[in-house]
Amino acid sequence: MDWLFFGEISLAGLAMGGLYALIALGFVIIYKATRVINFAIGEIMMFAAYLFLAFAGGMELSPWIALPMAVIGGSILGGVIEKTMIRTMLGESPISVVMVTIGIASILVGLVEFIWTADPQLLPNFLPREPVFIGELYLAPKIAYGFLIGSALLIIYLLYFRFSRGGVALRATASDQAAAYSMGINVRRVFNMAWVFGSLAASLAGVLVAATGGLSPQFGIIGLSVLVVVIVGGLDSILGALIAGVFIGWLETVAGAYLGGEYRMPATFLVLAVILVIRPYGLFGTHEIERV
Amino acid sequence: MRIGDAKQSYEADEAIWTSQTQKMWLGLFLLILLVFPFVVNSYLLYLGCLVGIAVISTTGLNILTGFTGLISLGQAGFMGVGAYTVAWLSINTGLPFPVTLVLAGLMAAAVGILVGLPSLRVKGLYLAIATLAASVFLHFIFAEWESVTGGMGGLSLKPASLFGLTFQSDFMMYFIIVPLAVLMVLAARNVFRTRIGRAFIAIRDRDISAEILGINLLRYKLMSFALSSFYAGVAGGLFAYFYRVVTPESFPLSMSIFYLAAVIVGGMGNLLGGILGAAFMTLVPEALKLLTAALTPFYPNAPVFMSPMLEIIFGALIVGFLIFEPHGLAEIWHRIRRFFRLWPFRN
Amino acid sequence: MFRNILEKGRRLAGLGSLVAALTVAAPAMAQDKEPIVFGGSIPLSGVFAFAGIHIHAGLTDYTNWINSQGGINGHPVKYVMEDTAYEVDRSVAAFKKISGSSSPATYYGDSTGFMKSIASELNSQGNTLMSGASFATVLTDNETYPYQFIPGPNYSQMFGIILEYIASQGEGGDMPNVAFVYSDTEFGKDPIENGKARAAELGIEVVEEIVTKPGSVDVSAEVLKLRRVRPDYVVFHGYVLSPINEFMVQMRQMGLDTQFMGTFWSSDKLIIDKMGEDADGYMGVMPYNYYDSEESGPMLDALRAQAEESDPEAGYRPTGYMQGWFNAMVWTEVVKRTLDAGKELTGDNMAEALASIEDWDTGGIIGIPVTVRDMSFPVGRIWRVNAAEGRYEPVSDWIHLD
Repeated sequence: MDWLFFGEISLAGLAMGGLYALIALGFVIIYKATRVINFAIGEIMMFAAYLFLAFAGGMELSPWIALPMAVIGGSILGGVIEKTMIRTMLGESPISVVMVTIGIASILVGLVEFIWTADPQLLPNFLPREPVFIGELYLAPKIAYGFLIGSALLIIYLLYFRFSRGGVALRATASDQAAAYSMGINVRRVFNMAWVFGSLAASLAGVLVAATGGLSPQFGIIGLSVLVVVIVGGLDSILGALIAGVFIGWLETVAGAYLGGEYRMPATFLVLAVILVIRPYGLFGTHEIERV
Repeated sequence: MRIGDAKQSYEADEAIWTSQTQKMWLGLFLLILLVFPFVVNSYLLYLGCLVGIAVISTTGLNILTGFTGLISLGQAGFMGVGAYTVAWLSINTGLPFPVTLVLAGLMAAAVGILVGLPSLRVKGLYLAIATLAASVFLHFIFAEWESVTGGMGGLSLKPASLFGLTFQSDFMMYFIIVPLAVLMVLAARNVFRTRIGRAFIAIRDRDISAEILGINLLRYKLMSFALSSFYAGVAGGLFAYFYRVVTPESFPLSMSIFYLAAVIVGGMGNLLGGILGAAFMTLVPEALKLLTAALTPFYPNAPVFMSPMLEIIFGALIVGFLIFEPHGLAEIWHRIRRFFRLWPFRN
Repeated sequence: MFRNILEKGRRLAGLGSLVAALTVAAPAMAQDKEPIVFGGSIPLSGVFAFAGIHIHAGLTDYTNWINSQGGINGHPVKYVMEDTAYEVDRSVAAFKKISGSSSPATYYGDSTGFMKSIASELNSQGNTLMSGASFATVLTDNETYPYQFIPGPNYSQMFGIILEYIASQGEGGDMPNVAFVYSDTEFGKDPIENGKARAAELGIEVVEEIVTKPGSVDVSAEVLKLRRVRPDYVVFHGYVLSPINEFMVQMRQMGLDTQFMGTFWSSDKLIIDKMGEDADGYMGVMPYNYYDSEESGPMLDALRAQAEESDPEAGYRPTGYMQGWFNAMVWTEVVKRTLDAGKELTGDNMAEALASIEDWDTGGIIGIPVTVRDMSFPVGRIWRVNAAEGRYEPVSDWIHLD
């Protein structure tokens, strides 16, 4: 066995996993606050990436201005979706809410095709292009810098949710909406903020992923990988999202490298199936007790 | 309140067709279905067949999602199982098509039971994701098990035949698809007059309560999966005979979502809704094309900007119906009927 | 964003009056005889729209051109199409609609899936000859697909041409080695088995095979695999753009001097437009002359003039345009031969006329006379990107397989 090769592959996988963790974090924030499984997260990422393309490519702004603008655009989109569509579904069955997010995903794909056509696109280069070596191990520069930027946001988020008032409000809402409301927390605002922050994380990851893999209206497929991550980690666990994100990213890459590209999805979904059978609420998720 | 509608026996109360008028309308509808292929052009005939296949599959998904409350993202995968079964059997055994279609349904039902197994431990959205996993595995099997499925290139089969008749044209296929669709919808309607069907509905409304009432959850959930997949398998088998090519790319995830959308737009837990939803969702793209054709003289690039509209409209229909008309087209239909029934008393 | 809309608008302005048309009528001069109908399931939207829009423009422009030349033996030509969004069921619907209302003599199919699904219907009707966007190897099987042909080399033949080029670069016993990178789709896997067999015949070692999902994926791990085997050539198939760019950029960052090659749909100018400098040196196999190549010929000049006339703003016309035009050209030739022989326009007669095409001069669209073999035109040339010039330049002679 070629350990150097294994090391390099693993490193690439872990870096990709870092981005998965970031998207999964966005997913979990939304789920924790509003109990909505957001099937449109891949399409929100895609929309932000197209915004970046429009700002940096079309309007020729500096990428470092375009990046925050695109990310903010994506998070506004999340806020608008919550306010106009998800809010009205409050109290409906989870199945209906999930279907609404699937509908939203389709609308976003149509919008993107409408504005930017269905042609495949590449984002303008904005990350350094010199190869990165960690010891002996080579790492593609885009992934390395994407991982750094993603991790930075991830750490900010973790600190924010641990220590700030907004973070406490989110956690309080997640554990008991009525109690949180009676303690003076504006629960509706928390709902909205959760979508904004969740989409913000997804948007940043969207631009970074599109920078390495290219962009097209089919980009949203990546949402499936994220779904695996959050189910394996546990829908309402931030720690689970981080660990599962890194693990699934690693597994997908290793399976792709050693078995072939057609094994990437089955490998991760196999893990998903096993987890569903032995720990239905994910590795770190809360086991909900149902009462009649 | 309808006049002359007092029931005097349980049989009358349980009857599917309760009034003469209803029977008359049904007769008329069946007559139209019968005459349809003789009077329309090949394009409408093709659409008629497509709708027929969609009705079968949507009815199947409706049993699972609408009546039992188990959401499934695997419908396309189950159809694929049916389609591959038919293709393989007709290439390798030459069995007549009624046999292969039944076997396709049974094969899909068996796979459905397997996929439904986690349903005792997980439910709701976790179950939806389990079915998603199943459809990923099924796609993988279709693509990689080359000796049976023909790999990425798929399988090509001969037209269905029976007693020397060859069902090659859409005209002939129509007489397999549509009677089968009518039969399977009727069968579904009957299921919901039995203990099984009522158990499904009880599980949907509250599974824990249902269990306390003595319904064996695992058994009935698996039964629902089996029945639903059987419908999908038969629909997939018809798909195979209809296009005579089956490839892994014939059954994408978007197809599963299409059927879910058809159930929702039509009306969850309502068989009529399933029919309306299937027809509506199949015909929307074609209707949009007519609109495009009408617009092109004025906006020359209409085809290019109308096509993304299809995605948008598809999504907007799902979202719109869920928010504004959760009971779907069936509810609209009932409202229209009520209007005529109550006219002129109510206004 | 807005620039994009504008650009789209401008690009469309040209098609404008044409798209208009679900039908394009012929000028008055040739209307006394029954029109000959070219039908088409055209992907004006969806994943293949980037090519479909230009295919449509090529077919439309050709129709207008041939009508301005007096049609085919005095018959005007009518082009009838519908948008399919690149979905098989909608393509079939379009075919049924068009064949029901206009009885097309020839038809453009937009995908391999459609071509296969429609085959039995086409065979039983037996009055339409079909070609289209697909170069799938299976369609060369005349038993199953007697009325479908390929307007160029099929994907296996493209691999054959690429491999022959690679072999010609080897000196003595030092044969270059090659890696295949393809997408996990029917399209992607099409030529791989035949390609490997051909490589073995030529003594080229296939050192690595990489399968990826199509489109947007991270390919760092796959690049690392290629870094281990250091292939002299990498041949891509089953992609349009991504992830070709990422393979090229990352492998060059690693200091490898690998050459990169691709098949027809991966060899459009899109690669240059989107990748810029990074595209330099990329090679593609192309059966037609590029619109902006230095070649010329009566038909190529006519094509350029017609393209210029229909949309003076458009400038360069992509390979989809050339492909659409060439399809219609072959149809014309086939219909003409059939009519000249005094036969009816049935599938059998037209297939026979097609098979009779030998040493046919395409007027510069293809640089050498072509001969039809098994319902395909097994000819092509290797072109290399010159990024500074922003175009492909020929690096091989025309290669005609037997």
